[in-house]
Amino acid sequence: MDLAYTNEQRAFRAEVRAWMDTHVPKEPLVTLECREGFDQHVVWERTLASGNWGMVTWPEAYGGRGLDLIQWLIFEEEYFRAGGPNRANQNGIFLLSPTIMEFGTPEQKARFLTPMAKGETMWAQAWSEPGAGSDMAAIGSKAVRDGDHYVISGQKTWSSRAAFADWGFGIFRTEEGSKRHKGLSFILFDLNSPGITRRPIRQLHGDTGFAELFFDEVRVPVENRIAGEGEGWKVAMATAGFERGLMLRSPGRFQATAKRLVELYRQHEAEAAPSAREAVMTAWMQAQAYAYNTYAVAAKIMAGGSIGAEASLNKIFWSELDRAMHRTAMQLLGAAAELRRFDDGRMNQWLEGYIFSLSGPIYAGSNEIQRNITAERLLDLPRAGAG
Amino acid sequence: MEFLLNEDQLALAETVRDYLAGTHGPDVLRRLDAGDNRDPAIWQGLVDMGLTGLLVPEEFGGLGLGLVDAALIARECGRACVAEPLVDTAFVAVPWLLSQGATAQMAGIVAGTAKPSVAHTVNPWVSDGDGATLDSIDPLRNLTRYVDAPSSDPLLADLGALMAAAQLVGLAEAMLDQSAAYAKIRTQFGQPIGAFQAVKHQLATAAVAIEFAKPVLWRAAQALADGLSSAPVHISHAKIAASDAAIQMAETAIQIHGAMGYTYEVDLHFWMKRSWALAGAWGSRAFHLKRIDAAVIGGGLAIGPDQTFA
Repeated sequence: MDLAYTNEQRAFRAEVRAWMDTHVPKEPLVTLECREGFDQHVVWERTLASGNWGMVTWPEAYGGRGLDLIQWLIFEEEYFRAGGPNRANQNGIFLLSPTIMEFGTPEQKARFLTPMAKGETMWAQAWSEPGAGSDMAAIGSKAVRDGDHYVISGQKTWSSRAAFADWGFGIFRTEEGSKRHKGLSFILFDLNSPGITRRPIRQLHGDTGFAELFFDEVRVPVENRIAGEGEGWKVAMATAGFERGLMLRSPGRFQATAKRLVELYRQHEAEAAPSAREAVMTAWMQAQAYAYNTYAVAAKIMAGGSIGAEASLNKIFWSELDRAMHRTAMQLLGAAAELRRFDDGRMNQWLEGYIFSLSGPIYAGSNEIQRNITAERLLDLPRAGAG
Repeated sequence: MEFLLNEDQLALAETVRDYLAGTHGPDVLRRLDAGDNRDPAIWQGLVDMGLTGLLVPEEFGGLGLGLVDAALIARECGRACVAEPLVDTAFVAVPWLLSQGATAQMAGIVAGTAKPSVAHTVNPWVSDGDGATLDSIDPLRNLTRYVDAPSSDPLLADLGALMAAAQLVGLAEAMLDQSAAYAKIRTQFGQPIGAFQAVKHQLATAAVAIEFAKPVLWRAAQALADGLSSAPVHISHAKIAASDAAIQMAETAIQIHGAMGYTYEVDLHFWMKRSWALAGAWGSRAFHLKRIDAAVIGGGLAIGPDQTFA
């Protein structure tokens, strides 16, 4: 165990910090969940791309920097230290791109990864359906083969970023009459294709971050399928693993929130409840614990290991930490917690963050599902109904 | 930067784990509890593995290993609920005596004939001391009053807290294993109770707390080994995380065991009681939380995303 950075790593941190200090917008962007804010965030994606900071861990051939996971962590720490905006393309960056790297053909890599690195195409995910949420194998949307195309019919919902993104990915039933995990394929589609109707869903905060998608005989070329026909479940599970795993929620995000929470506490110390003081300390401790764990997982992967069902422990931990930190902030704000804007005109980012944090234990596989996975795969407990 | 226990460390810990699993099971705890709590053969086995000399420099006949190695072995002592004073003597007293330049007892410690235990003002009682016996709920603890004046050296409190945290992680892991094993064999309503989500989710929640206490422990051990000025904060963090995880696990474990868990018959109580004892030892929760408070809210430590290893 060596917990000191090398000179090279320190120099890299300084390089990232200098760029971020110059380029991160001084004023927070409008929320990503509305047209104006989404467009601002796309501009930011292109700014990142102009500095070649968009996809730092990708191979150079696809527009990345080929950085290792420790450099990635340093990059993320500096990104959140500087207050970098949320990534408009996070579905593409953290979910789809590892999938394409692992399962895509060279042609698919060139076709989809390169524009993503340049900030040209924004991606939405399309997993859930009205009858297939936590039970994703209940998917019913069909993709019927017609020559060198699939013809897609059906409906997706809770599709993050679909209100404003350019492309989507999801799994569809390609084998007529197939059941459950069988007969599904992983397909990419242009959200502007004829036959796709997007119906934005108004979320808790009033904005429209996700959407329902209706497919009415949408023609998609067969070369948009990732991996083999019928292999969609395997590919989707790998993608879901990326989502819960290492990269979606880097520790810097939570350490930055914990630091802001400490500052908020100091401002409200005189009237704060005694319990708030311990909650603030717990926030720092848990954000640090999450960071150490991420460094440990990164070291394990760099030494040739992999992350398995432990990803479920991660997802439970960060999502419940994020909610607890924002709940504490709301308590500290007291009467001002309900204000969307404070008297001085600043957005109440704690309120926005609290609302968003409530989705953490639900998306990317609800925490109930994560606890089942933990119990069944890590503790070897029997599946329900066994006996 | 490499947050990774190396192969030698893991191999040593595995050897100790296997040895204790084979020689120090629940049946041994029952035998000790029915007898006089200590067994020279168990102590000799630990001495023969070189564990009493783990932190003793090679010039005094020891293995000359470091605090991370010692924390790994202390975790195994917790997992096996070892009551012999290995951790207090070899992993707390030895490095503290060395820091004082007191090397006279080292040869005796390595040979297993000297078992010094040292007390700190936060923790004025010791196991296996020479003073009057105290009546601990932990049946194997042999808690005694300390006859000399306890030290107030912060390093001693840090060593004690670090090694208590390591044992608490091992205790918690053992209770998780025992509870999962019980949930697989106990059937009700025609199925193992471990198939019920109400049982699964409690165990998963405890597993999360244990999983995220471990890296805090390794970080704290490395910080003290590296001599970081922030090491006391990280040790307090580890003590809180490990104590909270172990207490949560103990409460979950008794719940999963049901009425059986409330009996003296089931093995669980040895681990649960050691957890209660160590959670309060070497600095209470309040003691450690106050150190976090001074660092984080008081501003004694740089915090934020770029300060992970401050």
